[in-house]
Amino acid sequence: MSRIFCGALAALLLHVTPTVELVKRVDAVRQMFPAADAWTERELHLSDPDAHRLHEALDWSPEDGVLRFYTGRHAGAPVGALVFVRVDTPHGPLEVAVGFRTDRSVASVVVTKATVETKPWVLTAVRAGLCDHYKGMKAGTVPQAAEQIRDAAGDLPTYMATQVDKGVQRALVAYSEFYK
Amino acid sequence: MLYDLRHADLRLKWLVTCLLATFGLAYCFGAWMVGRYAGFGPRQVAQTYAGPPMRMAMPPDTTVVVEHPLTMGQMAAEDHHVVDIDLLVQDTHVHVPMYGVIAALLSLVVLGLSLSRGAGFALITLLFAAPWLDFAGMWLVKLVSPGFAILTVAGGWAMGAGYTIVTVIAVGQMWFGWKGAA
Repeated sequence: MSRIFCGALAALLLHVTPTVELVKRVDAVRQMFPAADAWTERELHLSDPDAHRLHEALDWSPEDGVLRFYTGRHAGAPVGALVFVRVDTPHGPLEVAVGFRTDRSVASVVVTKATVETKPWVLTAVRAGLCDHYKGMKAGTVPQAAEQIRDAAGDLPTYMATQVDKGVQRALVAYSEFYK
Repeated sequence: MLYDLRHADLRLKWLVTCLLATFGLAYCFGAWMVGRYAGFGPRQVAQTYAGPPMRMAMPPDTTVVVEHPLTMGQMAAEDHHVVDIDLLVQDTHVHVPMYGVIAALLSLVVLGLSLSRGAGFALITLLFAAPWLDFAGMWLVKLVSPGFAILTVAGGWAMGAGYTIVTVIAVGQMWFGWKGAA
């Protein structure tokens, strides 16, 4: 009950605006891997040590301690995998879909959810070419795409882009560590 | 009662007609929005307001991998719009006062209709009970059990029914000379 009370109080004080869907998940999936004709969902229920390792690396834990990867196949052969990562910002949640090619590099990034307040900033960042900067990144890279759009996008879109950077960073680490 | 829409000034009849038409437009878009984000059946409503089931299991000793095929339809279902408690607080804060104003205005129309006292009481009660049921259902689904989604569904249909009954009787009595019961 205290969680409910705190949630209600936080909503009243922070006035976090409702979540809005920028791209439906299924559309993001189709956009990333149009050739895929079959999908599997791989759930990893993390053990304490693995969850701790992820938390140490990223200061982040997946929801319920479960990582979910979606693997696309064409005629039985894998064409890539993707993961949806949620980033909680002070302005509400953001969701990023990160797709990986079979060579384990980033195929593409799509921002799927934002909030009513952050939507215009996110869209400005995306229009400034934010997601293009992630293509080809591999494990070990620290995404800094936000800095690359600062001049074109302005302060608030750049701020949201740093949150997208964070989401991509989480996806890169989670994928390299746990998707074998 | 002096306030009788059947014999009211033409301007008042026109005002009431415009008000009902405007509410009708708002209800149509309301229904469209409900269809897009929640659905009209108890199962979809429960899925929207209850959210995913809470996992209370302890972490496994070693990381467990579970893999299963997934269709696009299942993926879309996993992505069902969910109203969390923060959004529900905000929705309640915004919608309930407006529902109250709408119910009050429709009730003022009811007072000008030629109806028996019992029918008048029943209609006014229906107009105010509908939003109560709607939001009580949402909160009970969130806090108690998904089974209460039926209240929200009933509230939504009651809202539509109340508006339709008032509109049909009002238009009939104002413009087509229907005789009242009072």
